[in-house]
Amino acid sequence: MGIGPESAYSAYSAYSAYSAYSAYSAYSAYSAYSAYGASSGTNPMLTEALITNRDGIVGTRIDRIADVLPGVPDSPRNLPRLALPVRAAIFQAELGPSVDLTVDTHDNLPVATLWRRTSEREGRKRKVTFHEMVEMTGPTTEQLTTQLKHVAGYARIRPDRAAEITTQVGVPTAFFASIGFMDPARTPHTLELLYTALNFSSLLIQRTKYALAVKRPIEFSPQVQPMIETPTHGSLPSGHATEAFLIARLLWKLLIESEAPQYGDRAYWGSMLMRQAARVATNRTVAGVHFPIDSVAGAMLGLTLADHMHAMCNGGAWTSAIFDAPKFDPDHDFDWHQLYTPEGDEMKPKASSDRGAWAITKRHDRHDTDETAPALSWLWTKALGEWRDLQECDG
Amino acid sequence: MAVWLPNPDPDAVNIIDHVTYFRLSRAAHHYGADPDTIWWSVLVELEGISIDQFQTSVTAFADDLLIPAAYDAVDRSAVRPAQPVAIYARAPLVRHINDSRNALRVTSVLLGASAPERFLDRAAQSRDLPDVIVNDDAVVQAVIDDGIGIAHELFRSSATTTRIHHARIFEAEPLPGNLTSVGRGLDRADIDAFLQDCTFGDMLDEDLFYALSGQVDYGQGVFSTVAMRRSHGTHVMALAAGRSMDEQADTHPIICAALPSRIVNDTTGLEMVPVLYLAFHILVKQARRFRTQSGAPVPVVFNFSYGNTGGPHDGTGIFARLFDHYFGESADTRQKAWLTLPAGNANLERLHAVAEPRTEVDHTATLDLTVLPDDRTPTHVQIWLPNSPENAQPNFATISVRTPFGMDEGIIVTQPGQHAALVNKAGEQIAWLAYQYVGGQTQRGLVTLSTNPTANLRETSDLGPAGRWMIKLTRDPNVSTDPIHIWVRRDETLPGQTSGGRQAFFDNADYHRFDRYGAPLPIDPPDTTSPVRRSGTLSGFACGPAPIVVAAYTEQEAEMSVYSAAGPLVPSPHSPQPAREGPDIAAKGDDSFVLRGVISAGSRSGSWVRLAGTSVASPQVARLAGNAIHGKDDNARAWSREAAKRHRFDLRDDPSPNRVGAGAIRLPGDVARD
Repeated sequence: MGIGPESAYSAYSAYSAYSAYSAYSAYSAYSAYSAYGASSGTNPMLTEALITNRDGIVGTRIDRIADVLPGVPDSPRNLPRLALPVRAAIFQAELGPSVDLTVDTHDNLPVATLWRRTSEREGRKRKVTFHEMVEMTGPTTEQLTTQLKHVAGYARIRPDRAAEITTQVGVPTAFFASIGFMDPARTPHTLELLYTALNFSSLLIQRTKYALAVKRPIEFSPQVQPMIETPTHGSLPSGHATEAFLIARLLWKLLIESEAPQYGDRAYWGSMLMRQAARVATNRTVAGVHFPIDSVAGAMLGLTLADHMHAMCNGGAWTSAIFDAPKFDPDHDFDWHQLYTPEGDEMKPKASSDRGAWAITKRHDRHDTDETAPALSWLWTKALGEWRDLQECDG
Repeated sequence: MAVWLPNPDPDAVNIIDHVTYFRLSRAAHHYGADPDTIWWSVLVELEGISIDQFQTSVTAFADDLLIPAAYDAVDRSAVRPAQPVAIYARAPLVRHINDSRNALRVTSVLLGASAPERFLDRAAQSRDLPDVIVNDDAVVQAVIDDGIGIAHELFRSSATTTRIHHARIFEAEPLPGNLTSVGRGLDRADIDAFLQDCTFGDMLDEDLFYALSGQVDYGQGVFSTVAMRRSHGTHVMALAAGRSMDEQADTHPIICAALPSRIVNDTTGLEMVPVLYLAFHILVKQARRFRTQSGAPVPVVFNFSYGNTGGPHDGTGIFARLFDHYFGESADTRQKAWLTLPAGNANLERLHAVAEPRTEVDHTATLDLTVLPDDRTPTHVQIWLPNSPENAQPNFATISVRTPFGMDEGIIVTQPGQHAALVNKAGEQIAWLAYQYVGGQTQRGLVTLSTNPTANLRETSDLGPAGRWMIKLTRDPNVSTDPIHIWVRRDETLPGQTSGGRQAFFDNADYHRFDRYGAPLPIDPPDTTSPVRRSGTLSGFACGPAPIVVAAYTEQEAEMSVYSAAGPLVPSPHSPQPAREGPDIAAKGDDSFVLRGVISAGSRSGSWVRLAGTSVASPQVARLAGNAIHGKDDNARAWSREAAKRHRFDLRDDPSPNRVGAGAIRLPGDVARD
């Protein structure tokens, strides 16, 4: 058993990669492949039938076996022939070791540091290097107490947002698919890429939440009374914000790279994806399960991880980010524009309040020794192909 | 068991307005420790003195008084025979003003909504407003409403320029610079600057805009329905003044005022009139800035999509006279101004009753008043008596109020000083019944019944009883047989609001709600003897002679919308013929019986929502009026009669004039200039 995106809520099985997502399985796209019951246990009657069937037709043993070529080792060319859960496992095997997390304290506040690990490979030799990718300092209790006023204020629009909030408890694929045209038939690899990213991020989200141990609004006041169940894990960073901004930025990168004229340099696509992500994040505050500052931290983490994912797939730049929660003015609400600009797909270098800089980011250009993961490159390429316009000769 | 005490307070005869007295006395329920520190909007009517003279007369209460900076030096020095002025005051001053012994030359007092101190700026100064030069064919559209999405694209001339020249947001902290006494005043340049600050790439972040404009601040508890998908003011203003960006901005300027939420979180009662007055005063000042190239004043069409129950319903109410005060014959202005108002939606609400010979048995009319449990706001009832001069107030009737379950009966006669208090076992007052005389042009006696809330989340024993109250009016037929009108004031809770009020209503068994097929009866059965009436339900605001009053119809079925309120009105002391029979004209309030409401702007650009009621009919007529006001010498109502012919829409139910006025009109999608 692995663990899935926070928003999937239930434990996530590496062997049922897509079944956890109702938005996806609703199309029953992959049910055709389950005829042999490969992933969900065997069908006893089918087994019995295959035995008797073989007995009936197998005949005398064939002695002369034709040439069999060996398999192609460690090659993405195998990937199209692998079941989705198998591919999911391979992708996680690439992504998982790309990061590490350490925890310490600063001024009595917990600090979680997510490290980016790059390895230079030469035969069986490894040279591993760690770079700080995300440093996140937890908020003070006073900040959260102040932020509680926002939670109370947002409660007034719960009736207005109830349908969105309840349908966004799971992965809000349908909401992003209403902007970028996704469908299991049309964009299977894009969906696979996004769920790969979510699966990867969920480990980091849970580990970071665990490290920072930030209490939920419900623990501050008996009057929060959230309209959905409060998850048992920590409040900051918001997993929904992390995942929504991760999805939004990965999609925006695909749209940009597709070079399709309608997407190419049109930042309004990126803006709309970010507005969607912010809406999902804010809805969690409306519901009463998150402080706005949780969304700030989550958005920052998600945007940073999108760059990391992209670099793992394609090489290219990645971003490091410092979120210093105590410097965030707790009277302020979440505003994603302070972190990111869709035009040029750039994170803002700095965001400050009267207390100092609470967000600092830095872009790191690709280093020659950085290696991409070929399996992930394959996935990105397949996903990108789903956004390119069809050319006349394609047919 | 609660008992009624007759005339317990020998000073009650000196109370100018008993509802004000009652609400202030109950403020402790809501405001806890020190209700005297709470600021209230108050409408005072000054008689023969200026605002400055009034201020001087209450110098001892200087710390409790705020005269809004919207009243400039000229306003403050003007002396008129009768002059309503909206002020902000704290309880010690309001009690002082409301005591006739203090001889302040205040003829009426109306307590409005409380206002958080942070929305007030006592250091604000009035300022000169520069002229705004617009096209010669311009018409200013002025809108007073609540929850106005001022950033909406339908009010803009480009992505980052607005057509709104001034927006006053009552529920927002004033900007620095002592510019406004109440709320935040945003000029066109301010709005444009916010639009620029909130536009990223090609996109306006409207959530961010309303945080900057001060309309929504979740952290500070500042809320407007613009945070929700549907907001009354956005919908209404788009019907009146929404336009595509490429239309001439300098021909269609807008000014608007966003009032506090329609039902504020105030458990003592609801009264919008003081802030309506102030909003109107502010917008009149703004409207007078507009000039054509040649210096001529620019016509203005006002729309208030507000209504109320209560008031004398004879055109003499303090709101009914508002328009006349600013644009009537005595007002010093050449500016042409029309006003559209909704007829109101109270037709089937059972909030109105009439005691008259037909509805009386042995000269007694009996009313069952259902006060609901779990009602966290007081219930207020008004009983308006026939006219009489102040110096000879006859005893028209004996009024008795029996509490639920036959607990006890409070009885007063309609004479000055008469009152009764309902007192519980602990000796606390839980209801108040009193007579007062309303002078000025109204010249009537008024009996008010105010009862405590029937629920309170805090531990408290002074709840009013829920259940069926019985009100009996026994008239002296030798004094007068003229009708006596009884009204229940509104106290329900609308979506998005938190007041916790539940609406009391008349529940007489002889009132027939439905026809034989089970459909709601939109008009009173001709032979009814029930005192509870649909006729005469017209909004208390809509009884004056000047405004165009708009009823609502349902288009597909071509019938009047069942909620649309009706005349007739009550004769005034000045004329046996009221200024109007009812509404002037009807516009679409609903697409059909099942598709209720009409579609107009949602709170965010690009969104569309439904809203029903005469509130949405009125701004459609305002829009049409804006196309017609130029160059016509007609008055507004004469124009509306003409428009009813020109844009005629035949209704199948053949409504009487006191429901539909001159007729129903169908408006084309975008009304052509006529």
